[in-house]
Amino acid sequence: MLSLPRSLARARPLVPSRHIHSQHRTTSFGFKTIPEESKESLVKHVFDSVASSYDLMNDASSLGVHRLWKDAFVSTLKPGRKGPLRCIDVAGGTGDIALRILDHARESYADRETTVDVLDINAHMLKEGFTRFKKTMYHNTPQVSFHEANAQDMPHSLFKDDSYDLYTIAFGIRNCTSIPAVLKEAHRVLKPGATFACLEFSKVNNPLFSTLYDQYSFSIIPLMGTILAGDRESYQYLVESIRKFPSQPVFAQMIREAGFATGGDRDGGAWTDLWGGIACIHTAVKL
Amino acid sequence: MATTSARLLQLAIPLVKTHGFTREALSRSVLSLPTPHAQPLPDAAITSLFGQGDNARKSLIDTWLEDAREQMKATQSTVVKDVLWARLQHNEPVLNYLPDAFAVLASSSTFLPLDPEPAITHAAKVANEACWIAYPTEKSWHTRRASIAAIYLASELHQLTSPSTTYQFLSSLIETSSAAETSLTEAQIFGSYVFKSWAGIVKSTGVFL
Repeated sequence: MLSLPRSLARARPLVPSRHIHSQHRTTSFGFKTIPEESKESLVKHVFDSVASSYDLMNDASSLGVHRLWKDAFVSTLKPGRKGPLRCIDVAGGTGDIALRILDHARESYADRETTVDVLDINAHMLKEGFTRFKKTMYHNTPQVSFHEANAQDMPHSLFKDDSYDLYTIAFGIRNCTSIPAVLKEAHRVLKPGATFACLEFSKVNNPLFSTLYDQYSFSIIPLMGTILAGDRESYQYLVESIRKFPSQPVFAQMIREAGFATGGDRDGGAWTDLWGGIACIHTAVKL
Repeated sequence: MATTSARLLQLAIPLVKTHGFTREALSRSVLSLPTPHAQPLPDAAITSLFGQGDNARKSLIDTWLEDAREQMKATQSTVVKDVLWARLQHNEPVLNYLPDAFAVLASSSTFLPLDPEPAITHAAKVANEACWIAYPTEKSWHTRRASIAAIYLASELHQLTSPSTTYQFLSSLIETSSAAETSLTEAQIFGSYVFKSWAGIVKSTGVFL
């Protein structure tokens, strides 16, 4: 397997020419600009590399706070409160959100009928999730299933139109090549009246806090990646990709452009900031 | 055109008289869309669009109050009593739900257990609208509006407990207010005469020479 720097080198265009550049669509990979068609394989490389230590790194780099964010995300949605739901958790490889959804429905509402289809493009991450679920009561039950698929183009035979009550994507959408394509697919598979929910890193609006956060994330996190996972480049990408993600109002507008209805453009409306905007929950409804 | 949360709030307004200022009214608003949904919206969708708990109800109450102020412009008369009476009549179909609605607004503050600001703002906005209709070129802007706001607030409170006598109560308040305003103006004129008289007397004694 190529290392990430070698993969990036291969991703660069060969000889700059007017003809090639006019046809070549580009996208961001962290702070780098790469051909659009290369992003999927590069992101795949990142997550192949980090899969086995993903949860450890999340704990180390966020000091365990990511668990609080995920708890807040799921408790906001209250799955199971008004009856069983058919949920899809996209880019949910390690099963964090799926497990929380099923536990919340069971513990708060005695709901054992809610189901979650976990979808991820990366087989290594799905394997981690499957292994985690083997330790729970949901293994080998109809409540959870795992599927390797692309969030931008989910197979219609498996993921039919108007078929889900809840679509969740947590810390995954920024890694997708085309966010509008992901949102369009989300709109397709959700039933009318169903909810779209996205938990993602976002923009910190307080200037002082933002400076401290930048210092921490660009110095400490890649260093931890080196020490704990032996892969600085992958964690450098993860930190850079956070900075490239659209701000809260811009992402809310993208969600509306996909056909969803949202609350007002403010914290507490179309989105809810967590920890000053380090993470953010966006919700919307398909009408 | 994509349906927005603002559009759903508008569609929920006619449902207030049957369902009150409730999340259920918001939920059933999708049944009134040009292409109606088969089912009302689930509660999770109401939370996503309008917020948790009473936040959703507060959005509906604010929208209903704003719509009621807009309806005031359709009043045929430009007499302030008629404009305020038209606004009070607008309350009649939802009179049973209004005390609860005002309680929701009053309890929405983070810091105070009971916040008077929503009631004051509500009366001030109604008074402002009434004054623009009845007195478009009024010079005593603040005093007129303060007076009308107080009259409207008292009349609306009266309407919640005794709807059948609201018109008489409103009329009596406006007459009293007019009489009080006249008396105050005359007192001010008399006061200025007295002041000028005394100023003249003091000057004539030569104290300031």
